[in-house]
Amino acid sequence: MGYTAETFQNEFLALGATEVNAIVTVTSSGAEGGLRTAGASEIIIVDCSGSMQAEGRMQAARQAAKAAVGCIDDGVHFAIIAGVSTAQQLYPAPGQLAVSAPETRAQAVTAIDRLQANGGTAIGAWLKLAGQLLAQRPGDIQHAILLTDGENGEYKGYLESVLTEIGGSFTCDCRGVGTNWTVSELRKVANAMLGTVDIVARPEDLSASFTQMMTSAMGKTSADVQLKVWTPVNATVRFVKQVEPQVADLSGKRVQDGPRAGRYPLGSWGAEARDYHVCVDVPPGAAGDEMLAARVSVVEGENVLSQALVRAVWTEDSALSTRINRQVAHYTGQAELADAIQAGIEARKNGDDHTATMKFGRAAQLAHESGNKATEELLATVVDIEDAVTGTVRLRRKVEAADEMALDTRSTKTVRVGRAQ
Amino acid sequence: MSDSCPVCADERAAGAAFCESCGRPLATGATKAVGTDCASCGSTGTVGADGYCENCGMLAGRPRDHVEADAGTVAAAVTDRGIRHHRNEDAMWLAVRGTEADIVVCDGVSSSADPDVASEVAAEAAGKALALDATVEAAISEAARAVADLISAGDPRRAVSNPACTIVAARVRDGEVTYGWVGDSRAYWIALDGSHVEQLTEDDSWATHAIAMGADPQAAWNDPKAHAITAWLGADAGIVRPRGATLPVTTPGLLVLCSDGLWNYLTEPAAFANAVLAAVHTNPDLVSAARALATLAVEAGGADNITVALTPITP
Repeated sequence: MGYTAETFQNEFLALGATEVNAIVTVTSSGAEGGLRTAGASEIIIVDCSGSMQAEGRMQAARQAAKAAVGCIDDGVHFAIIAGVSTAQQLYPAPGQLAVSAPETRAQAVTAIDRLQANGGTAIGAWLKLAGQLLAQRPGDIQHAILLTDGENGEYKGYLESVLTEIGGSFTCDCRGVGTNWTVSELRKVANAMLGTVDIVARPEDLSASFTQMMTSAMGKTSADVQLKVWTPVNATVRFVKQVEPQVADLSGKRVQDGPRAGRYPLGSWGAEARDYHVCVDVPPGAAGDEMLAARVSVVEGENVLSQALVRAVWTEDSALSTRINRQVAHYTGQAELADAIQAGIEARKNGDDHTATMKFGRAAQLAHESGNKATEELLATVVDIEDAVTGTVRLRRKVEAADEMALDTRSTKTVRVGRAQ
Repeated sequence: MSDSCPVCADERAAGAAFCESCGRPLATGATKAVGTDCASCGSTGTVGADGYCENCGMLAGRPRDHVEADAGTVAAAVTDRGIRHHRNEDAMWLAVRGTEADIVVCDGVSSSADPDVASEVAAEAAGKALALDATVEAAISEAARAVADLISAGDPRRAVSNPACTIVAARVRDGEVTYGWVGDSRAYWIALDGSHVEQLTEDDSWATHAIAMGADPQAAWNDPKAHAITAWLGADAGIVRPRGATLPVTTPGLLVLCSDGLWNYLTEPAAFANAVLAAVHTNPDLVSAARALATLAVEAGGADNITVALTPITP
């Protein structure tokens, strides 16, 4: 398995400085020959609440689920859950997983035709059932697709308790169709389940979205990859964030591993590259001291796949300590960009136009500076950007709900920094 | 520091990174072994495989921070990181056989990429060439080529900011001394009785150039550009034309090669000679004298890396 981990940082610190920042790029060439080293299992959860009848969503969801089933590789274990006020297993028999083959996929397609929209939205119950089914296949690369069109109807706190219970045990990609669902709610699910969240505003785009998610899931070759971060005594990890392809703070997912190390779950991996921002507070050193501030290892169980060192070297030479590392600066900006957009949307909802204008202005500036064109275009659907360089924007009177939700869900999407130093 | 090559037992290997006879790398007090005690936090047996303490994270030892080459009464050399710089970008080569000696001192240009690599590569290339009986001029040309080649090796940053360094080299054969240099690392000749001191090299630096053009020496040396070098080894150096000469030795004396980390604190030749002779006369051996000179520079502020090589010559 070809994993590499590479550090980008300015290791030089001024005397008295104690904050060490580094970007660690983890690249995997995938398993040898692209073969999975573990089995795989897939759950497709389709919201069948009453509201799905509108705008032909149910019809589109059926087609999307069929398209996704068509992408499941032979031999993969799978099941389909119909999401109503409770979770109902649509295929195969309750409590079972089917083994993907032409016959089982054909049976699943027939079952999907029976999906009818009636009932409520109970995301917690759906995920819980998915978790129970997947628990039969420990060691598998486990993935679920969750489609919903509305707000969760379960009593307050239930979804959170389910996420605490099953968070990280499988990857779940979430898609909201239409504009009546809540971005923050699905983002919470996606963050806890190490998956992605996105809006599919038009039902007719669902099939493409499901096909893309399933294809990407089938490309994963390792089940449970983790980032192990060792730090010396008296040092503390301030945060570990994934910063590319999208921003996700992993700090809260730390599991202590011995007195000086913690593990952060990265989910499943295929042939891909992701960037992580590691920030460590260390005790100050004397001029010329060199400290290993963190040893970052990519691990699968006890197997160390690759390792990168984050160093701190204290110097009196301010020409060295004031150098700005491009990678660290770029991704610090991308994380601030996501925060600014989310704060701007929140402020606009609360009628605080002043704060909203300020936050969107800063976001426009950051998106422009970093060459994040996709985010800049999404911003332009919510505000009129008068001058991206100075961050001068004007709130639009009328904003399409779908545009604002797209900006919100995709605010965490980052662009990769150029590799040249 | 070994006195001879552990592989072929050639005695000229003292202080060298590679044996001149067989070309094998020599142990030079490299990184501390795994499982040794940490000097920073005092933990027992915590130094890990990558050289950092598993408890406090401090680097257990950088082999180039302080290196001594002891060739007994024939020659000795010491290089030290000093205080201000975070690593030692000076490098040296000292190899002896009988009374013959090859000495090289290089100083990496801090503003270039990987100057520590430049100096190390230059010292080694020149040293190996001298061992094969090349002239000093040819040895410096070898070093120039080796440093220029660094831009195409590894790190892309090197192509943007060429690794660069100075060099001063000397070759001692049967009491005859030839020397050469590029940059502002120096060679001095000091008569043992103190009757005579001579700076053999003329710095390739802005200050020296300005003084030669008629500027007031004090004003020139106080200028911020004073130490900017006008010739160096590196891919951007153009054609390197080392300067050099042969030194006629008529009285017993000391050949001293050093980087500006030492001579900066002793700019007057007389003061330089007094410090060197005091060190030689008050210390039991040559290597202690060289160490004392490095310590003198460290105690004076240690603003730069310090390298000094002492070679007594009798006619």
